[in-house]
Amino acid sequence: MARPPEIPRRSDVTRAHKAKGGRVAAVLPIHYPRALLRAFSFLPVEVWGPPGLDYAPGAAHLQPYVCSIVRNALSFLLSGGLDIADLIVVPHGCDSLQGLASVLMDFVQPRQPVVPIYIPRSHTAAGVAFLSEELRELAARLASCAGRPLDTRDLWEAIRREERAEGVLHRLHAERLSLSLSNLEHYRLVRSREYLPAEVFTTLGESALAAQTREPVGGTRFVLSGVLPEPMDLLSALDRMGVVVAGDDLIACGRRVYPPGDSDDPFERMAQGLLGAPPDSTRGSSIDARREHLVHLAQRVGAKGVVFCLVKFCEPELFPLPDLRQGLREAGIPSVVLEADLNDPLSLQAQTRLQALAEMIA
Amino acid sequence: MNRREAARYYLNARVLGPALLRGRRWAAEWEARTRRPWSSSHLAPPLGISPRMKELVARHWLEGRYANLNRKVAWVTSGAPVEFLKALDFYVLYPENHAAICGTARRAVELATFAEEAGYSRDICSYARTDLGTLLSGRSPVGRLPRPDLLLACTNICQTVLFWYQVLAQHFRVPLIVIDTPFIYGQEAPPHSLAYVRRQIEEAIAVAERVAGKGLSQARFQLVGNLSRQASFLWLEILERNRHEPAPISAFDEFIQMAPIVEMRGDAFTVDFYAAMLREVDQRIARGISAVYPERRRLMWDNLPVWYRLRYLAELLAERGVAIVASTYANAWGELAPLLDPDYPLESMARAYTYPILNRSTGQKLATMKRMIRDYHLDGVILHSDRSCKPYSIGQMDQRDQLIEQMKTPALLLDADHNDSRCFAEEQVSNRIAAFVEMLGV
Repeated sequence: MARPPEIPRRSDVTRAHKAKGGRVAAVLPIHYPRALLRAFSFLPVEVWGPPGLDYAPGAAHLQPYVCSIVRNALSFLLSGGLDIADLIVVPHGCDSLQGLASVLMDFVQPRQPVVPIYIPRSHTAAGVAFLSEELRELAARLASCAGRPLDTRDLWEAIRREERAEGVLHRLHAERLSLSLSNLEHYRLVRSREYLPAEVFTTLGESALAAQTREPVGGTRFVLSGVLPEPMDLLSALDRMGVVVAGDDLIACGRRVYPPGDSDDPFERMAQGLLGAPPDSTRGSSIDARREHLVHLAQRVGAKGVVFCLVKFCEPELFPLPDLRQGLREAGIPSVVLEADLNDPLSLQAQTRLQALAEMIA
Repeated sequence: MNRREAARYYLNARVLGPALLRGRRWAAEWEARTRRPWSSSHLAPPLGISPRMKELVARHWLEGRYANLNRKVAWVTSGAPVEFLKALDFYVLYPENHAAICGTARRAVELATFAEEAGYSRDICSYARTDLGTLLSGRSPVGRLPRPDLLLACTNICQTVLFWYQVLAQHFRVPLIVIDTPFIYGQEAPPHSLAYVRRQIEEAIAVAERVAGKGLSQARFQLVGNLSRQASFLWLEILERNRHEPAPISAFDEFIQMAPIVEMRGDAFTVDFYAAMLREVDQRIARGISAVYPERRRLMWDNLPVWYRLRYLAELLAERGVAIVASTYANAWGELAPLLDPDYPLESMARAYTYPILNRSTGQKLATMKRMIRDYHLDGVILHSDRSCKPYSIGQMDQRDQLIEQMKTPALLLDADHNDSRCFAEEQVSNRIAAFVEMLGV
């Protein structure tokens, strides 16, 4: 295998960005306009938990039936993990994220401004029109936080950079089988999009794509669906089992590959991009759309099985699950569900189930 | 519809069924007048209007049973703008109300089990599991649910309904209208949010007209809107009568009597019903009848009721002289009444249906609670931490702390679930309530 690209560490990247006079925006899941933040020199750094955290500080504000992504994020903030951030952005992805934003704004009131964004669930033109306006309003809030007005040239430049990075991200997913990377290395690269500046990510991604092999990577092919590939030990376990993750329908990864918009208005163009990503329950996509996408993805990459990586209490993923699994069954594709708290290690039980699926397919 | 089906519908849903239900109501009213004295030593007898409410609800579900023979049917979420559906003559069914009936009848767990066996997680809303269980098993305490021709989900109460109705759309293969109401984080909804909701209502009307096979009459739309507004105002007036000390009714009475304001908004008989209820509540005040006697402490209930333990909780508290006289939940069905304006139906609907308490910030909910504590002269608050309702429950821990710190109002967080009795630990609840009441000095 070729040497995987050297990926800068999250803490180094944020410190370097700050050292150059930039600002850092801590961004909660899921969908948000990276380009708009960058136009104001905010580097978006995503907060998916993080996993394996003492969530006691968050437990003073949130009940135990709130998902661990949200509880951990609040705990991380309260224990100083987000001190480097100048801004906290909370997109509206579900009831729990909605509640988190509201609790932050009304009660916790951190040092940094908390800026929510509502992502529309309507798939008609009304949704694009609303989101365009919502982004304009966000721009006004960011201008106030940054202490300077928006420069449209900066915005267009940021949009072009992000669209290029999205193109690279799309290729990393689509050409996964010709990348000589282990599952863990592939996901480390793909998930570095969560904090790397678009231009750095583009360079890294392009270097990985340039090192493609002619022969597809061997191994039993799986697709990952669900929320996010945590714990990351899951990926190492799949590597050991000879399984290659050939397709991705994860909220944190494959469902956030945004196509470029086509509008001449920058806000509408960003809205088109955000709403044009693959089907996602948190954006209101129908079960039919999700099922077709998932089955088609599995068939396109020749997957023999699908692993649903769920986070406990995640209603957007739990509701469509029976129908998605039924659709896969009808297409002759077995699936397995791994549901966990973000703070749990990969259990032996989960490993056994994965092993059983892999062996059944083999 | 052929003649035979029409005859069957009219005979069962309009003649025989209603006659039977009216007879039952008369019998219940007669029994109430002639029976031995009310047995509870702490709770007032049930409201005299109760048999009429039961008749209304039973007629509603009876009509639903035969609705597919004669009318278009829409299944809608409890906070959805139904006025245009009513004006288009849809029979409107509320799955949440059906689930609550199952909860009250203690059938929810039995039904939810069917959904769980089909792969629906126990971590999803228990209303949804109850209704999905009904779909999968065909079982229901109301007999039979009519098949929908249209689904309408409005996200002003939660995002859960969006996912739930997508499952319904998958099951029934009928059009699903989603009215997406952006959450209000601050004081007011921004203009682009209201414009977005209004535009979606306009699009929804077009879809509903297509399904109904006829156009919406503006006159009828305004009439329904007006009836909806009148009923909401009457409901609000009834609730506000509980500012009187002692309170004439309890929040548990409100939970039972709120069925028509949820599922029969926009009907003339709902207005008549609440007008009659208001008269009875006023009579209670005039005669000095209180919901709980003696009324030693007055509390507020936050969040949905625990449907399968209403009576248990009412008695547990009443025995200690504690009356639950206000609830943010019952209040939600009246507080938007002033926003509805039948002369400007679209604009006012967009606003009213964007502003429910569940679509507003945790801070706004706290402000509502503080206002109610002052207006109703309350001594404390019970916050039901409802495992199945995240939008209502998230924020309660801080709300409780602030009520205690800022208002010096004792507040208790009570863990349960509105429909799943497996999440209700009776001994623990009883102990916590006993300790709380003791703290209130009763």
